[in-house]
Amino acid sequence: MKGFVKEFKKNKALFAMLAPAVVFVFIMQYLPMSGLVLAFKNYRYDLGVFGSEWNGFQNFRFLFASGTGWLITRNTILYNLLNLVTSQALAVIIAIFITELNGKYFKKFTQSVIFLPYFISWIIVGVFVYNIFNYETGLMNTILGYFGVDPVNVYSMPGVWPIIICCFNAWKWCGYNSVIYIAAIMGIDSGIYEAASIDGATMFQRVKSITLPSISPTLITMILLQVGRILRGDFEMFYQIVGNNGQLYNATDVIDTYVFRSLLQNANLGMTAAASLYQSVLCFVIIMVVNAIVKHIDSDYALF
Amino acid sequence: MRKITRRDFLCGSAAAVAGTMMFPGLASADVDTSEQVEIIMYVVSDRPAGQDVVDENLNQLLLEKLNCTLKINWIGWAEYQNKYPLLFSSGETFDIAYAATWLNFASLAQKGAFMSLDEMWEEYAPDNFALQSETALAEATISGHYYCVPTLLSTYTAYGPIYRTDMTGEDWDGVMETWEDVEEYCDAILANNQAVEPIDIYSMGPELMLTYLQSLGYMWVSKSYPWLWFDPTEESPTVKSLYQLDEIKDFLEMTARFNEKGFWSKSALSDTDSMKPQNGKSALRFHNIDSYAGISANYGENIGQGWGYSNFVADNSHLPYTQDCMVISNTSKNPERAMALINLITTDQEVFDALMYGVEGVTYELNDEGQFTITDTDLYGAGALWAARSDALVRYQAGYPEDYTTMKEEIEASIVAGVNSEKFAPFVFDTSSIETELSTCVNVQQQYWWPLELGYTDKDSGLEQYQSMMEVAGIDTVIAEAQAQIDAYIASL
Amino acid sequence: MKIKQSGSTKAFYAIAYIFVGLMALICLLPFIIMVSGSFSSEQAIRFTGFGILPKDFTLEAYRLIFKTPMTVIRAYGVSILITVVGTVLGLFLTTLTAYVLSRKDFKYRNWFSFFFYFTTLFNGGMVCTYIFYIQYLHLKDSYWALILPGMFNVFYLLIMRTFIAALPHELVESAKIDGAGEWRTFFSVIFPLLKSGLATIGLFLALGYWNDWYNAMLYINTETKYPLQYMLYSLMQKTQALASIASQAGISISDMPSNSLKLAMAVVATGPIILVYPFVQKYFVKGVAVGSVKG
Repeated sequence: MKGFVKEFKKNKALFAMLAPAVVFVFIMQYLPMSGLVLAFKNYRYDLGVFGSEWNGFQNFRFLFASGTGWLITRNTILYNLLNLVTSQALAVIIAIFITELNGKYFKKFTQSVIFLPYFISWIIVGVFVYNIFNYETGLMNTILGYFGVDPVNVYSMPGVWPIIICCFNAWKWCGYNSVIYIAAIMGIDSGIYEAASIDGATMFQRVKSITLPSISPTLITMILLQVGRILRGDFEMFYQIVGNNGQLYNATDVIDTYVFRSLLQNANLGMTAAASLYQSVLCFVIIMVVNAIVKHIDSDYALF
Repeated sequence: MRKITRRDFLCGSAAAVAGTMMFPGLASADVDTSEQVEIIMYVVSDRPAGQDVVDENLNQLLLEKLNCTLKINWIGWAEYQNKYPLLFSSGETFDIAYAATWLNFASLAQKGAFMSLDEMWEEYAPDNFALQSETALAEATISGHYYCVPTLLSTYTAYGPIYRTDMTGEDWDGVMETWEDVEEYCDAILANNQAVEPIDIYSMGPELMLTYLQSLGYMWVSKSYPWLWFDPTEESPTVKSLYQLDEIKDFLEMTARFNEKGFWSKSALSDTDSMKPQNGKSALRFHNIDSYAGISANYGENIGQGWGYSNFVADNSHLPYTQDCMVISNTSKNPERAMALINLITTDQEVFDALMYGVEGVTYELNDEGQFTITDTDLYGAGALWAARSDALVRYQAGYPEDYTTMKEEIEASIVAGVNSEKFAPFVFDTSSIETELSTCVNVQQQYWWPLELGYTDKDSGLEQYQSMMEVAGIDTVIAEAQAQIDAYIASL
Repeated sequence: MKIKQSGSTKAFYAIAYIFVGLMALICLLPFIIMVSGSFSSEQAIRFTGFGILPKDFTLEAYRLIFKTPMTVIRAYGVSILITVVGTVLGLFLTTLTAYVLSRKDFKYRNWFSFFFYFTTLFNGGMVCTYIFYIQYLHLKDSYWALILPGMFNVFYLLIMRTFIAALPHELVESAKIDGAGEWRTFFSVIFPLLKSGLATIGLFLALGYWNDWYNAMLYINTETKYPLQYMLYSLMQKTQALASIASQAGISISDMPSNSLKLAMAVVATGPIILVYPFVQKYFVKGVAVGSVKG
């Protein structure tokens, strides 16, 4: 505490500069967390958040009552891992290739175009998905029909949906994510590249031994940031692509979609709060563990 | 391309008494109207573009009659699922809100979201109170208190096929009374037109089972949880889940056959198009008589389509009057005036018309029979406070099918108060003690029953899986609770 | 600089061009289909699906959107307002904070970084946040409800901090020797050098604001205050929501905007921001890397 006072006196201006953000985040983010007591309450509208009665862990029961809690937790984690790997990998590859392209207009054009999917909302993606995969008139079965192949009922094959969802996710975010990697590659000191070309390195060697190592701190940070939200699913994506099709739920249900459906009929605010608390706590635990592991391996790459 | 018309929701009910005021002597005398107040009301709908004109006209009337104005706040279709339950927890000051069974009226009332009307209803809304049926009053009572003013409009379970009559060609005999007729009809549709799906199923789930079980005389415990059924003709009915019903195997056999024949799409549960029958993409939908009237009036002869309907429900009863109702907020500053306003809009034809249809000659026209036509549906459809409708004041839309009235009269005539299903109409399922089990069962129903009902999963192994998942989800607890409440209800009669 | 045109280098370029070209095609095609679908007639879409070229060309969908042009123009106005105000405020807050956290001589920088980062792991969830914002901050139906929630993002903070850390440390030192205070150092030395950082974070902030419909859904009641994306979203949701209600309440379903209208709305909503992107793109020449929470 003494050290803090001393530091404060020394760097008054810096503390003053930091103050707006600290106050802002405290009010906008930390104070609402107090509402999480709802998770342990039998919420009554007339008594309010703090006046309602405590009911222990009752509100958490619906998550675990029928063994679904484990399934949706597993799905959420697996989807996030899969999406993390594919979308980051795609973004890195795109960034490396685009920065190496020579044609000025081709480069500009492709970089702009790859950003387009970011603007197509999940609702529209949902419309496309149905138009591609529906059994009777879908694009896929129409094309298969041209080649005399029997139609495939994709909606009865839950197993392929993780791949479909993962592809659309990578497609939608590749432009956005690649911006960060393009910027990172542009930041590499061009002197290093020149030295390499004098040594007669091929393009592949150059990418492998200069570009990749240079952007790996960025990559690792991006990954760790994503791991920090590993228990949160992109609700819009799942909801618009899978919707109400129960046939696919075992392979596609994540915590957010399950909670949404469960509470549609009774709108129990305590249960909703319980679900978000569960997600927050697990995210916190997982990132702590992962960060500790990374720190153990190479403390430079640890997030904090 | 056909102009997109925004059709109003009004489906009308009993004979509309055009232009007559039933209660000329307003009982607002009990309310102190000396001070002008603004009543704030929440409804669930999107604000029509031409609402300003309607508001102005209505407020002029209200100032005259009750010295108040009405400010309507709209919760749009895109947001109601998130926002509606939160409305009552935010501490915001407002007076009236639309409520409904499908907005979880009972569950919200149990959790103290609304102001009790015990002291106010009879005193400040006496005309409305006098018109309420015993059944409606019982339905408005939650945990011993009145919590809402239910609609005065009678509606019926009346589920059955709503079907195109001009798509079958010569192959069909025109009879639609049994499930065999449904199958023959669909066969004829398929034989005549390959591009049309005979039965309309889309992502909001099938209504086949609902219709089927009602055609056998069963009754649901709660429409929100349509997997608990009982036979209302029994003296003390036993609550059963779907897999405990003897007839369910026949049903699944039938739907498996329907699916095999291609009566609906193999991807129906992902199809978000809810307008297939109206747009000629499918021929038959299972829904109620009011849907039939609406579809037929707007997509019938005027655009060259023919529609038929037949009621499959074996034992008719009134739908809960709380399926459209009005509640007073805990935060209301003027609950008395709000109640007086509810009284006024539900019993005064002039005010009711101004609220629901707008300004005569501007937003709507009336014909000689008192039926309305909306002038420009892009500007104004109809008011969203459906709970204000009553048998006495509601108007038909011009172009309603002629058999609608006669069929409704038949249904009304077949209902005997306190007998069979009508005996159980006031029953309200109190779910507060079993919310955990219910939320898991709701999921199992959607995940395992819907595909089973559509014949996507094997009818035997699928049923077994559904049963075991339901048991894990805790359906036995739910059944026991429902049974106890039904028993208590019968004992209370 | 010249790379040896060896076989493997040629192969590299071949792969690069093919891959990037293919990706561009995959990204462009759906967009073209979206645009052409918005010019197709509803019946054509319903019965034959989408295509590269408009089927049964019609402007009906656009005519419907612009039937009440004031609604669209106002929604554009709201979107532009919140995007501009939010981006400017957000950039200022982010840069200021990032500057302090990038200062190696600031002892508690890691502690504060974690204070910010923690909010990405742990949050109150939709319900608690909503009740708090409405009841205590009185954000209901206020433009601030659209601006404040997206203004500060830890992800942007980390990127910005790396941008600043990449600047030569001597800049701060020499400014100090010249007798400049912390504020003046920040405004007149650091800020002007951050063009590409400001462009990157500015783009992300602006995109976030432009695409946000969720906060509008939760907090905005008055339709005249709807931003463009939410106007679009509520139009699209009507069909589905109405259907669900109809099936539960026994009311008949109203005819609502359909496929072509959905697509036309999407085109109307994305148009302007897409035009902005190439303009910002040229600032990405200078590098950036995302750093970790600790400094």
